[in-house]
Amino acid sequence: MRRGSWLVKAMSYLATVFLLVTLNFFLPRAMPGDPIDALLSRSSTEYIDNEDTRADLAEYYGLDRSLPVQYGRYLAGLVRGDLGVSIRTNAPVSDALLARLPWTLLLVGSATAVATAVGLIAGVHAGWRRARPVDRGLLALFLGLREFPTFLLGSLALFVFAVKLNWFPLAGARDRFAELSLIGQVNDVANHLVLPATVLAVGLAAGHYLVMRAGMVSELGADYLLLGRAKGLPERRLKYRYAARNALLPVVSLTAIQLGFAVTGAILVERVFAYPGIGRLLFDSIGARDYPVIQGCFLVTTIIVVSVNALADLLYRRLDPRTTG
Amino acid sequence: MTPLLEVADLQVCFGGEVEALRGVSFTLEQGESLAVVGESGAGKSTLALCLAGLVQPPEAQGSVRVEGKELLGAAPDLLRALRWSTVALALQGAPFNPVTTVGAQVAEPLRERRGFGGGPARRRATALAEEVLLDPTLLDRYPHELSGGERRRAALAMVLALDPPLVVLDEPTAGLDPTTRNELVGRVRELADQRGFALVVISHDLPDAARLASRSMVLYAGEAMETGATSRVVSEAAHPYSWALVNAYPVMTTTRDLRPIRGRPPDPRAVPSGCPYHPRCTQAEPVCWEEHPALRSSRGRLVACHFGGLKLLLAAEAVTKTYRGRGPGRQDVVSALHGVSLELREGESVGIVGPSGSGKTTLARILTGHLSPDAGRITLEGTPLPTSWRGQARAVRRRIQLVMQDPWDALSPRLTVEELVREPLDVSKGGDGRADHRRSPAEAAVAEALDGVGLPASGPFLSARTHELSGGQLQRVALARALVAEPKVLVADEPTAMLDASEQARLMVVLRERQVEMGLGLVFVSHDVAVVRKVTDRIVVLDAGRVVEEGPSHLVSSTPVSVTTQRLIEAAPAFALEEAVPARAAVPEEDLPDGDL
Repeated sequence: MRRGSWLVKAMSYLATVFLLVTLNFFLPRAMPGDPIDALLSRSSTEYIDNEDTRADLAEYYGLDRSLPVQYGRYLAGLVRGDLGVSIRTNAPVSDALLARLPWTLLLVGSATAVATAVGLIAGVHAGWRRARPVDRGLLALFLGLREFPTFLLGSLALFVFAVKLNWFPLAGARDRFAELSLIGQVNDVANHLVLPATVLAVGLAAGHYLVMRAGMVSELGADYLLLGRAKGLPERRLKYRYAARNALLPVVSLTAIQLGFAVTGAILVERVFAYPGIGRLLFDSIGARDYPVIQGCFLVTTIIVVSVNALADLLYRRLDPRTTG
Repeated sequence: MTPLLEVADLQVCFGGEVEALRGVSFTLEQGESLAVVGESGAGKSTLALCLAGLVQPPEAQGSVRVEGKELLGAAPDLLRALRWSTVALALQGAPFNPVTTVGAQVAEPLRERRGFGGGPARRRATALAEEVLLDPTLLDRYPHELSGGERRRAALAMVLALDPPLVVLDEPTAGLDPTTRNELVGRVRELADQRGFALVVISHDLPDAARLASRSMVLYAGEAMETGATSRVVSEAAHPYSWALVNAYPVMTTTRDLRPIRGRPPDPRAVPSGCPYHPRCTQAEPVCWEEHPALRSSRGRLVACHFGGLKLLLAAEAVTKTYRGRGPGRQDVVSALHGVSLELREGESVGIVGPSGSGKTTLARILTGHLSPDAGRITLEGTPLPTSWRGQARAVRRRIQLVMQDPWDALSPRLTVEELVREPLDVSKGGDGRADHRRSPAEAAVAEALDGVGLPASGPFLSARTHELSGGQLQRVALARALVAEPKVLVADEPTAMLDASEQARLMVVLRERQVEMGLGLVFVSHDVAVVRKVTDRIVVLDAGRVVEEGPSHLVSSTPVSVTTQRLIEAAPAFALEEAVPARAAVPEEDLPDGDL
């Protein structure tokens, strides 16, 4: 690939990020209400019916300035690496994000990995045996799972596996109070991860399955596959090295695109399982109209999704020789 | 000993309605070669797939045996074992797995089937690439990085990987430029000779097929129409379809204009009953749509036609004619024709050339029964040509018509165009020419005949008289008059001699169209070789009443044997403008832009 087109590609990613950062700034402010209202709500004990105090607070957080000025300050802060301070907790946003990010990466990463693996394998088998009972059964199963609401599935899983069977813990990402060895800690984290990751993966797997299956079906009639058959190659080689290898290409793009949905899904799942990730932080911050934290959460997800897409772009080039040169 | 390949009554029907193959049988021995030719949709590629066992029951019925082993319904393990090592099929368009290098795919059968390691497989692939004249460095490329010709070569290298005794090539040259195509065909032929593999070539390209295979099978609507030695099938096709197919090819070995096949290829969902070619065949009779013809021996090959192939329309055997001087005591004898023989088949066109006084016109008149030969016989459609005009003879003689040199002379100036064209119909019916009127069948026939020669079939033109028309129009009226009686043979004696070049060209186009539509046999008499070679398949050269040379038009007109022909060709018109066209020298090679990418 030529240097010029690399530059163009990088510029387009930068432009995307800038556009999203701008959206991230303005969207929370388009919601009704503001952080001071939320902070000093009538129902809270801190309720102060004093306009001066309100004005002081607004001035303290810079909310009294016009939107363009606030936007300029936000951008200037971003350039310095300063994400601001939470209005709700008064802690720096970056600290809150750093504390939450690993959990979300763990949750979304493992769910995506599981979903991709399951979806791909099921898709390859179903597509290869198109219109046979295996295919019909899997199709019905995955379509059903995909339409099942995540929060309902999560609650159901909690009820059955945590409450009734007591196989997995109810909430959180780890046991804070137990004193455990390193292996014990890993085990503990994994135990906490199983249910939320599985619930998140169920919704994602269906997408992978459908794309992989469709890809396989369209490769079934390809001439090179007929050639492979004429060459007397074993079925498994035709299935994996020929058909699946070619059908995989769109799945790579899909996985990256689906990551956005995975993060969205994580908000619901983290809420249901009280998992201490970015999703739950975002949920709480939206309730409090905590603009700096909302922006921070958006920024992190934006960067993750865009960089994974860029990565998929690179991977695609390696997987499909036709896209280079 | 069992043959290498034995196909018996192979039938393939997709989805219960698309009949791709309808009972094909043939055998192939070690080292033999067979070309399967036909139009698109004839079932050629399906046949190729069947030979590798890639179409199975219930779609495929019948039998395909390779080295005595039945492929139809065979167990997957047996099929895998036979494929590529015994039958290697190169698919149409040379497909490759797009995500793997070409070299890996050439080596793949060696590694997967023969257990070669990476190094030996790679070395073998390199050797194979060299064998098919493919640059071995291209093996590291991906399929999309190769040109069409390189892909075909790579496919060929891949096919030879396991040294199979039977190679099936499906359209090996389609879409290639002539030079690449020529090299590839030559290389395949050499490899077949060196390695001794049997070859089945599927192609819609007749010339390539002819170069690659010693035997040919013409496929139409999933059936074999004609099989036999390629030299016979291509150079003197017997089946009307093969003949039409050969005529539709632009090749350097014919000087005739291209003739399309009339009608359209059949829909494989509704193949015509009887002979599948009958709707497009010019010689079809009721038996053709009532009964299915089997492959039968005819003219040194097998032909699936109720009439053994193209009908023999006109045959002259040893025709001799002598004119004696008139008056008492005058004994000078002029031998106009001496032992002239001639054959003319359905749709065929034979040119009779010769200098003035060579007997051309005498022969034309004898062939049409206007003059009786002193010795010899004229046979028209299997019956002796009568010379009388009575009763049955009149109906027979209607089938052969004469068009003469001078239309002003030949057509009565007293009759209108309509009357001129209509006269043969009225005469053959025995009427007086002015009987029934108002859109009678005769009137419709007149309109059709005029339309067929490109003249107006209505309005004032019908009532025009000969002096109002141009020479070309008049000669076409004469042609319409000849064709209105639906003859099978037309003898045209210098029909274009009095026309200008444009009208001559138009008349020849009309003649070609009528031949395609009616399967008309044409005897074209002329002293002008330049004209004759454009409208005829064969040329007979007469001099002093004898046949001095005879052969395919392109040979007679390019490499004449007899002195008479050489003189005629020297005299034939050509644009001799040497001084006006100075530079026809070849451009030096290095000045040419690089053609390959």
